[in-house]
Amino acid sequence: MDPYKLSTYKKSNLLMLIFRMFLALAFLTAFVPEINPARLSELMNRNASLFTSALSYSTIGERFIRALNQGWIEQAPLTIAYIGAIVTMLAIVLIAAAFCMSLGNTKLRRLCLMFSTGAGLLGVIGIVILFVAQGMFENASNPARIQPLFPVGIWVFGLVFALTIVLSIAMRFALPKRLPEAEIRINDPTSITGYFYVTKAQEDDTYNLAPKYRLFLMLLPFLVFVVLFSYLPLWGWRFAFFNYEAGFALTRDNFVGWQWFSVLVNNPAIRSNIVRVMTNTFALSGIGIATSWLPIMFAVFLSELRSNPFKRTVQTLTTIPNYISWVLVFSVAFAIFSTNGFFNWMLITLGIQEEGTNFLMDGNNMWIKMWAWGTWKGLGWGAIIYLASISSIDPQLYEAAMVDGAGRYKKMWHITVPGLLPTYFVLLLLSIANILSNGLEQYLVFENHATRSQIDVLDLYIFNLGLGTSSNIPVATLIGMLKSVISVVLLFSANRISKWVRGETII
Amino acid sequence: MPTYLKRTFGDRAFSAITGSFFVIFTLMCAFPIYYLFINTISDNALVTAGQINLFPRGIHFDNYIALLNVSDLFDATMISIYRTVIGTSTMVLTSALVGYLVTQNKMLGRKYVYRFIIITMYFNAGLIPWYLNIMMLGLTNNFWGYIIPSVVQPFNIILVKTYIESLPKELEESAFIDGAGYFTVFRSIILPLCKPILATIAVFGAVGHWNAFIDSMILMQDTPSLHTLQHKLWIYLDTSSNLGNLMQGGSVDEAAIEAALSIRVLRITVAMVTIIPILMVYPFMQRYFQKGLMLGAVKG
Repeated sequence: MDPYKLSTYKKSNLLMLIFRMFLALAFLTAFVPEINPARLSELMNRNASLFTSALSYSTIGERFIRALNQGWIEQAPLTIAYIGAIVTMLAIVLIAAAFCMSLGNTKLRRLCLMFSTGAGLLGVIGIVILFVAQGMFENASNPARIQPLFPVGIWVFGLVFALTIVLSIAMRFALPKRLPEAEIRINDPTSITGYFYVTKAQEDDTYNLAPKYRLFLMLLPFLVFVVLFSYLPLWGWRFAFFNYEAGFALTRDNFVGWQWFSVLVNNPAIRSNIVRVMTNTFALSGIGIATSWLPIMFAVFLSELRSNPFKRTVQTLTTIPNYISWVLVFSVAFAIFSTNGFFNWMLITLGIQEEGTNFLMDGNNMWIKMWAWGTWKGLGWGAIIYLASISSIDPQLYEAAMVDGAGRYKKMWHITVPGLLPTYFVLLLLSIANILSNGLEQYLVFENHATRSQIDVLDLYIFNLGLGTSSNIPVATLIGMLKSVISVVLLFSANRISKWVRGETII
Repeated sequence: MPTYLKRTFGDRAFSAITGSFFVIFTLMCAFPIYYLFINTISDNALVTAGQINLFPRGIHFDNYIALLNVSDLFDATMISIYRTVIGTSTMVLTSALVGYLVTQNKMLGRKYVYRFIIITMYFNAGLIPWYLNIMMLGLTNNFWGYIIPSVVQPFNIILVKTYIESLPKELEESAFIDGAGYFTVFRSIILPLCKPILATIAVFGAVGHWNAFIDSMILMQDTPSLHTLQHKLWIYLDTSSNLGNLMQGGSVDEAAIEAALSIRVLRITVAMVTIIPILMVYPFMQRYFQKGLMLGAVKG
């Protein structure tokens, strides 16, 4: 090929693009559970991809504990299978690296091809190791019990790696040759000047990657985390459409479509539960919203006091509860309100009560009690944002009001409170958008057989339904899904209202 | 003194009433922690009988020493410390790097990438899909299950990004002219300048990691050796699990019984041990939280 022609560069770029797409596909195969080459037995998790298998040994070995104890299989094949999975995954990692390098200049692309060739060779080694492990599974002392399997993934991955080697070698000839001179002018009729320069320094002397790709590749690992832990769970919504039980796979057989939706509506037991749970959820959120002006009161009155050391002390000590977890709040509750606790001592000393009782097992007025704990924990903290806003109110407003004869209460009501309203409005809208999310921890720690009926909020119900003793994962997923969708709708409505009222969005 | 600055009777009454309200509420917030503390250092028999209410009696520190011998508590404390240190440092470095990268206009699709990250703040799939997802990624019963899922925190990224955008652009530009790469600029210019905001998110991240117990409860169900201190405390406190049975069954170290700790003393002492680190970082929080909150009010 003639290095002086534009078409050489264009052709090379096009071929590289195709090769890059192949590399991307090869990379993604590691995340498809159906073609996991390391699944050598029916006992292994059907939902694990090669990536998962290589990441943790438990996906390979967890169900073989009995088989190992009984001597149905040696430890060696399991270990070899795990090593094979790791080697194959390493090859996939090299392919990912090659993919990134293929975005660079010619010199970097040469390195890319070396990497992809190496990846292909390493992958073939990994597949051979898995092949050997597979043979050992077949020849185990009790094959009937360990149910050996020849995964289709071994063929798929073998093919992928063979293709990688072949294509890498072929691509070597598609790259532009080394430039003979320091700078070469290339005619390009499509550009304004009609030509452009390619320099040796750009293409052949140093590894070079355009900033836009470099920055993106620096960010890419973190984007992967975002996809894995924030977007991938959405794919888990499919459990709401299957008759799923832990440990079994989702197949066409247990696909039930919208059945769980009708169960949710028609099953009287679940329906009455939902009614109870929603009553609690709305009641607790409602009490919270109805008293959401308390932090404002707190801040306004605190700022009216004169002594600064006193103010600082109050602020410091009232924010402590915000930083301790709900478990610790419960341990405080235990220390104070259990039979031998402080509260009983006080009641007995004051002569209100004869004997101590365990207030934590008392299920009356739980809504108020939960609100009180929430307020105890959050009031001082909630006031801080308002205290900060108060200090940013223009002092001239107060002076002017004072000249006009306004007293303390008039100033508080007509200057301080209006100054805090915009902040309050935003927080109020957000709390309305979060009306379905009371949080899990508070209700989890205070839950016992006496308090359960009044404390069971949506988050706790989902938790118990999905992870409790008699778990029903599809229904728990379904309720969680509906909750998420409604919450997002509420949030965007709140945002729209904010835009309409204040001319500013909140998200 | 001009008349309008004189304190009238009304002023005094106002100060007295509001002042006493704040005194009472402050006592309500601070007293429980004092109460826990005096119950850990007083005579154990009196504590068990509920006789220690306002002042400690028969002061001794044997309970804390006895806890050192409870091996599963020691392990849980180490797990909590590891996850707090590793989790916070990875989260802070990630927030710094991602926050820096999303300020770079040259990046491919910068605006979309940024939105792609930030929008995850506003939705979540729900508890069960989250759990199943982490299980399928092999992070259940695995220490990294504490760290990896919470490495990328969109809100902290907003904070760092906003902070970096408030710095003078010339600093970065002059470094680029001197031939520095993106990573060098990040390490030797951005990172030192961002210390205040990074300290803020570090303190909040550390408290979050120290306090988290739902993830220990859900993700580490089958591996008691990975339970965090908060989770252990919850197991001790949980009224549905009888602590006496747990001690007999070996789930809780029997050294606790040998040290003659009653259940009440054990619970309160463990709670105190769990609170102490928070009280220790609390002065730092005081310094940073106002700043963090004010920045939080600024949108991304």
